[in-house]
Formats: sequence, C-alpha cells, structure tokens
Amino acid sequence: MTAGRFRDEARELLASYPVVDGHNDLPWALRQYAGYDLDHLDVAADQTGRLHTDIPRLRAGGVGAQFWSVYVRTGMAGDDAVSATLEQIDCVDRLLARHPADLAPALTADDMEAARASGRIASLKGAEGGHSINNSLATLRALYALGVRYMTLTHNDNVPWADSATDAPGVGGLSAFGREVVREMNRLGMLVDLSHVADTTMRDALATSEAPVIFSHSSARAVCDHPRNIPDDVLALLPGNGGVAMVTFVPKFVLPAAVEWTRRADENMRAHGFHALDTTPEAMRVHAAFEEANPRPVATAATVADHLDHMREVAGVAHIGIGGDFDGTAFTPAGLDDVSGYPNLIAELLHRRWSRADLARLTWQNAVRVLRDAESVSRSLSSRAPSTATLASLDA
Amino acid sequence: MADLQDHPCAAPSAIGEFDDTSDGLAEATTPAEVDIERARVLLAAQLVVDGHNTLAQELDRTHWLDLQHGSAFLDTDIPRIRAGGVGAQFWSLCVPPGPAAVQETLDRIDAVRTLIASCPEALRLALTAADMAQARDCGRIASLLGPVSGAALGDSLGTLRAYHALGVRSVGIAGTRWTADPAGLTPFGEEAVREMNRLGVLVDLSGASGTTMDRVLDVARAPVILSHSAAQALTPHAANVPDDVLRRLRGNGGVCMVSFAPDQVTRRADRPATLWDVADHVEYVREVAGPECVGLSGSFGATADAPHTIGLEDASSYPNLIAELLHRDWAETDIAALTWGNAARVVREAADAAQPA
Repeated sequence: MTAGRFRDEARELLASYPVVDGHNDLPWALRQYAGYDLDHLDVAADQTGRLHTDIPRLRAGGVGAQFWSVYVRTGMAGDDAVSATLEQIDCVDRLLARHPADLAPALTADDMEAARASGRIASLKGAEGGHSINNSLATLRALYALGVRYMTLTHNDNVPWADSATDAPGVGGLSAFGREVVREMNRLGMLVDLSHVADTTMRDALATSEAPVIFSHSSARAVCDHPRNIPDDVLALLPGNGGVAMVTFVPKFVLPAAVEWTRRADENMRAHGFHALDTTPEAMRVHAAFEEANPRPVATAATVADHLDHMREVAGVAHIGIGGDFDGTAFTPAGLDDVSGYPNLIAELLHRRWSRADLARLTWQNAVRVLRDAESVSRSLSSRAPSTATLASLDA
Repeated sequence: MADLQDHPCAAPSAIGEFDDTSDGLAEATTPAEVDIERARVLLAAQLVVDGHNTLAQELDRTHWLDLQHGSAFLDTDIPRIRAGGVGAQFWSLCVPPGPAAVQETLDRIDAVRTLIASCPEALRLALTAADMAQARDCGRIASLLGPVSGAALGDSLGTLRAYHALGVRSVGIAGTRWTADPAGLTPFGEEAVREMNRLGVLVDLSGASGTTMDRVLDVARAPVILSHSAAQALTPHAANVPDDVLRRLRGNGGVCMVSFAPDQVTRRADRPATLWDVADHVEYVREVAGPECVGLSGSFGATADAPHTIGLEDASSYPNLIAELLHRDWAETDIAALTWGNAARVVREAADAAQPA
C-alpha cells in the first residue's frame, strides 16, 4: 500500500505534534555492542545498519519525546539486575549530557512541552521489569529519584509479585505486595506500564491503580493473537482509567503469519544453542540461514495501522499512542525500519482518513496527558508516607 | 536534655582508684564545668562536622523510633545531636557484604533521605560545602550521605555515578576486591579512585590497609578522608591509621576524623576507654598530620547499650571532649579547624577538583 502522497502532510503534522515513543532499547544496544563506549557508537552520526536509532534519524522521524528503556535481562537477578539497571540509567544520563542540543532531560509533562517548544527531543526513562527493584520499594524510590518515570511490572518472566504474559501463571496476577508496588508507583508519580504482563496482572493493576496506566509497547490481541498484545476487554477499561496503549511495531506481535514463523524460528535458534532473543552477530547468522530457507512474512506500516484502527475503535482516540520498540527487536516492519519511519505510519493513517486532531492525540497529546495525570495523582497522595512494606511482610 | 553532671554512665565503683579520683571513672572524666561552658561557647560558633554515624542501619529495624523527640534506646537522636553541637553529619550507608549489597545500599539511601525529609526543622540534605554552611546558618543539621560501602559499587562505575546522582558524597573503599591487591589497588581500583575524584565523591580510607592508603594517596587528585580512624601508633586496630599515612595527609590535604569507638582508642588493658584516650588520639593526629588534617568522628548511631567510650556515650557528648582539649591548652583556632573547618574544607576541595563529564 502506498501512502507516499500523504508523507508531506505527515511530516508537517509531526512538526507540530511530534511522536512520543513509549519504548526504545538504545541503552541496551549500547551496552551490548559498545560496552557503553559512546564514542564507539556515536548516535550523533548515522548508524544505519548498526542501530535502529540515532539522532539524525530521530529528527527525520519526527520524534519529539522518547522513553528510553533502562531494560536489563531477566536472566539477571538480585543485585546484578539492580546494578545493571543503574548502569543503564547512567548510560542515558551520559547520552543526554553528551547531546544537550538534541536531547533534553525530561522528568515531567511540563519538561516534555518545554523540550518540544525548544525543538529538542524530551528524554524520559522507563524501567522494563520488576526484577530491576529486587523486591524493594526503597529501590523503586531510588529509580524514581534517578529519573525513571515508568516501570513495566514484568518482562518475559514472572517476578515474585506479578505474572508475565510469557511465563506460566504464578501468583495469578498481582500479589498483595504487587498491589503495594502499584500504589507506591502512584504515590511517586511513576507510570505503571502493563506491556509484557499477563492478562490477570493487567486487570489487577487496573483495579488497583489510582493513576492512569500505560502500555509502553503493546498492540491489539483481536488483530493478532499473541499474549504480548492487549485483549479487547482490557482496552475497553482504558477510558475509565485514563491510560494509554502505545502500539508496538514488532512484526512477531503484530502480524499473525509472523507469529507462527517466529515460533519456528525460535525453535531453530534453541536447536542451535542460542537464546531466542539473542541478537549477537553469531546468533543473527543462524537467524539469517533460517530466513533464507523460510521467507519471513513481512509486516508493513499498514499492519500497524490495522492495530491502531482497532485500538481507536475499542479504547477510544484519547487512549492510544506509539511505542516502536526500536533496538529492542531483531526485525521491523517494511517502512518502519528504524526511528525515521514514523512519518510512513502517519501517512498511512492519513490515507485511512484519520483526522489531524486524532493524529495529534495519537502522537503527542495522549502520552503527555497521561504523565501529567500521574503527576496530579501523586500530588493528591502527598500525605501518604513512603511504603515500608516488604515482599515477606505482605506475601508471607 | 542530657545534663552532663547526671550522665547515665554506669561506671563500676571498683575502678574508682584511677587517676587520682575515688569517685569513679565517669566522674573523673567529666571535665570541669567552666571548661564545658567555654566548649559550648566555642561550639556555638564552630559546630562539629561528624564523620561517621551508623544510625541508618538501625532505621531498618526501628521504624517506630521518634528521633525528633529523643529515644533513649539509641545513642543518637536530634535533641542530643543539637546538644552536642553537631552542625553537619555524615550518615553512613554501609551495608554488610552480600549478594544484595547494591539494593540494600539503595534502601539505606532511601531511609536516610526519608529521615531527612521527615525532619525538615532539624535536618537538611547537603551535597556541597556551601549547602553545609547554609544548613548551619539556618539552624539545620547539614546531612551528608556517605560513606557507602565500596563493595556495594558492584564493581561498576555506572553504579558509583548513580549513587552520586542520589546524593552520596563518600565511598569507603575498604573491603573491596579492587583493594585486595599487593599493590594496594588493582588497575580498576585506580580507575574507581579517579572516577570518584572526577565526580567529587570523597574517597574514605578508613579500614583500608596501609598499602592501599598509600596507593590511593599516589593516585588521588583530591583530598581523601578517613571517616572513622584513630592513630595506629597509640592503639593497634584494623581501622586505625599508621603514622606514615598520617604524615602524607598533609600533602594531600585530607582529614583524619578521629573515631570515638572504644576498641579503636583504648590504650590500657586495665581500664575501659575514656575521653582522655580520644583526646590523646586527637592530639597525636594533630601532631603527626598537622592541625589542618584532623577532625572528629563520634561513630555513634548504635543502640544505647552498645559499648561506648566513657565520657563520650552519645551524640550530645562532644562538648566534653572540647573541654578536655581546652584543658590541654588547645588554641581556639585549632579547635575550630578540628570541629568544622578541616572537614568543610575537604568537602569543598573535593568538589573543586571534580570535572564535568
């Protein structure tokens, strides 16, 4: 599907209402490929072929705010996960210090607006997985103090207090301590991110949270049946909660044919002794050989637009956003190959007669509003003392 | 408030024959009222910067303590800190070595920051020497975060920078893998010291080996501190500092904050440690390192029934020591340097030596 004639209008729209992207794994890529040596992989230069993300392409893509993921592997546990998370945070802070003319540190919705007004990319941090706090609410507060503004409750594995979408049922959603984590996040003004979590966890968190939640990078289950996507009944809860579901581009989550292909590709990776998500050159070679023999179903901007059409229908236009997951996925849809691709998605939506007002909400306004609302809830809870609950005290 | 004449020190009568007194060690070590009054006047002008208080580790288990109104259970609370003339406090964030040291350190930072936030009338977070002076001028106790345990860096400079971003201003380097080296520091250890200098985080040498102290002094571009060390020459103890390191402090500009901990200052097998012993250590460090390199470290923050040096039983007892030093004819300028000046200078100079990223 060609939407080229809408691309100019898309760019013009993005100049006023740039994209707030919910999830980008550049910090992990810099850790893995460069050992955090920011000279070795300099994002001020074009890194096409090495990274999905660099500053020139963020600019070309019309990105106005980015939640940088401070993700650490779930194989890391305890202090290793905490320490690696601190290193990821440090990496983002060093990036921001290095590129002050392009990346503006942002902690609040006001900071996001100020960055947009000054033509810089508001840079926020999001932690991906409760394993980053090692069951400690004080460590959660330390992450907040270091600028983390959302935490995904789980990654691909369960944590002792919350179930993941891609693990066997554990506590059956959120445990008592898990609900306390959500309440403490509400008190702090840290967004509760429900990407990656089990449906049971989504529902428990929505029932517990006093503030709007986000899905930093999840698409619609009804369009593509994958546990990483959001079921309709949960999407339908977002208007009541005020939250935002940020559509992700990851082909193996958005394209039904790719779901099956990925299942077989992962099996092949495991057969060769690699983790399914391994993106080292050796692992990628194994992947490439598989792909040679089994042509990969290709998602496009239209595939993602199908999800957005559905999400707008079910959750409403005030409750959708974008979370590409660039540099966190081996494959990307055609036309959304890297962070310069957002105008193609907007052009596709213009082609589908999305109004400019709806697109402004999708790209910028909803995400800024949700952070502002979380700040407001935090202020209203200011008389609540920091929680001293522990996993042992609540989940014994 | 603690009336020093009624100090609740249970000195056994059996040791009453020491030092020309028959009224017990506690009474014997209580300085003359006239000296204490002079000490209080001096301290009112030049408050104490105290190098080490471990209250944070008690906060873990005692959420119910009311530090603002006083707690006889501990040796530290806000009324006694104020009575002691303490104007700035380093709050130790040290945790026992173990598999969750990073997370526990973050917990401890949170506990102290929460404590500071919950006592805005009494405590104020201080990140710089200017913050210290400002807090003092507002009648608040300047609260510095540190040291954290070097082992709680998880061998990661990113973690060090995260601690710095959370307000931590000193790291105790003893007990790390990178100090357990025949050369005193491994190459990573040298890099860690340089990174602390670059950030403006004080390198705290207390408890490190003499070799490590020497190597750090070779590498460091900023003054170091010893947050709780007495003189090795007077009392052999792992946390005390040898003479050659004390002599090198002069050139480095660092400060040795003399610990009041009884096992670090005791000098005689026949009686418990007293404030005289602490005064001896303070004089010795002044003698060897110089009057601009000596400071004080009550090493309080324990429960009240933990061992304490006689005459220096809690955070209100600094005037006793100052009175003893006055009795020993210390000049007021030297006392001012001992209590506030030297430590504040080291905090300032470490920040001056820091470089932007």
